[in-house]
Amino acid sequence: MNWSYIQYLLDTLRKVVTRPWPEWLAGLAFGLVNILFFVVAFKPFTIYTGIYVWGSTLKDLIAGSGLDNAYNVFTNFTSVSDLGLVAGAFIAALLAGEYRIRSASTGDYLHALTGGFIMALGVALAWGCNWGGFLSAITALSLHGYAMLPGLIVGGFLGSRYLEWRAERMLRAIELPPLEEAVAPRPPRKGIVSVGGVISSLIITLAFTGGIAAYALGGGRLLAVYALGLTVGFIIQRSRFCFATAFRDLLGGPEMARSIRLQVGIAIAMAVGATGVALLKYMGFVDPEAYVKYVGISNFLGGILFGFGMVIAGSCASGMLWRIGEGHLKALAALLGAVLTYPFAKDYLRPVVLELLGGYKVPLTVLGGYGGALALVYLTAIAWATFVLYLAYRRGVKIYG
Amino acid sequence: MVKFYRRDDGTYVLDVRGYTCPYPVIFTRKALSRIEPGGLLEVVIDNPPSCETVPDAAKSEGHDVLGVEQRGQGVWIIRVRKRGG
Repeated sequence: MNWSYIQYLLDTLRKVVTRPWPEWLAGLAFGLVNILFFVVAFKPFTIYTGIYVWGSTLKDLIAGSGLDNAYNVFTNFTSVSDLGLVAGAFIAALLAGEYRIRSASTGDYLHALTGGFIMALGVALAWGCNWGGFLSAITALSLHGYAMLPGLIVGGFLGSRYLEWRAERMLRAIELPPLEEAVAPRPPRKGIVSVGGVISSLIITLAFTGGIAAYALGGGRLLAVYALGLTVGFIIQRSRFCFATAFRDLLGGPEMARSIRLQVGIAIAMAVGATGVALLKYMGFVDPEAYVKYVGISNFLGGILFGFGMVIAGSCASGMLWRIGEGHLKALAALLGAVLTYPFAKDYLRPVVLELLGGYKVPLTVLGGYGGALALVYLTAIAWATFVLYLAYRRGVKIYG
Repeated sequence: MVKFYRRDDGTYVLDVRGYTCPYPVIFTRKALSRIEPGGLLEVVIDNPPSCETVPDAAKSEGHDVLGVEQRGQGVWIIRVRKRGG
């Protein structure tokens, strides 16, 4: 091996980690991750149980009531993979030269905080976020994933209308070109950058500590869970796999091409993931009822809330974690909104809603066993991809350049 | 806050640092609609996905994207020439 070959290798590697990865490839990878997640954790890849654990821990710390053993930041599967996601996104962003502490305007922080609050309510109603309530739910062969999808479309669309209106108002405030005022941009507010930067850095440090703690407390299985979270974080940052964009611009918006590419990725993820999960359930490796959750009108309503909330916040569940790894303080505000709301929404709102609106646990296998369930997921994936591509075609949007 | 101004050399600068999707694209479109045909616009962003979505949006409206340049860790400048002129 000679030196120039090593240089060539490094150069190639540099290009791989600095260029964005295609969404369909990410979708394929997420499908595989969901299968592996079932193997090590007997559940699909989800986000919000981790947010519940974080919020409840925070609640206990503030109340001084002592930590509840029912959940532990470093042993709960979802919490550990969430920490891994932040760490993975941080590594990816750093390698690509994209990591930076980014502050936002006060208005944006407030929007993110509100969005986080609304998202948490949506998760309580839909029995999960864009993963646990939709993508991973369908992957786990549970009908509740289907019920959230129309809600996400409606919520995403409402969110896009709101953003368009807000952008219009903001731009109207800037007149062009009052040259005497057109001086160099004001310096960034150092105070906020440093306080937010410290919190952001602490969380990223915690995300890395999480891997070590998980291994120390739970051994290989928890380390594997952490590694899967890390993998998702890396891929999600590189592919910019943003569910907020996917549903915001689906029906025509500023980034419709990317939205369609993301939706195709989502369709691939569900088809690939469901194949493996069906096999695992069929072989009895995991409980056939694993991750089959209640489905009813509340999932649709939750989808609307979550869809609207994620667009307002600028990121979905995985999106806010990945952007925290990337250094966005706005994502930190969204996380704060979610962490403060979700424990209450899950413990108090969800039981009431279930009581009021009702719901049933329906596995997709009711339609003719595992063959029928898989056929349904494949048909859904194909129909969904065909539908979103038709939307792009009708608008004359070229999705692959 | 978004900053939109004209430099002494006549180039328009749209600084949307701190904004995530879809604001950089929305602001770029609106800024391009306000400058004269053939005018040069520099969009300053710090949101990685916008490195693709802003040029894509500009191209789809027939403007010339002259390049995307990284200026330090996590900041990029996208140079666009408005169509016509």
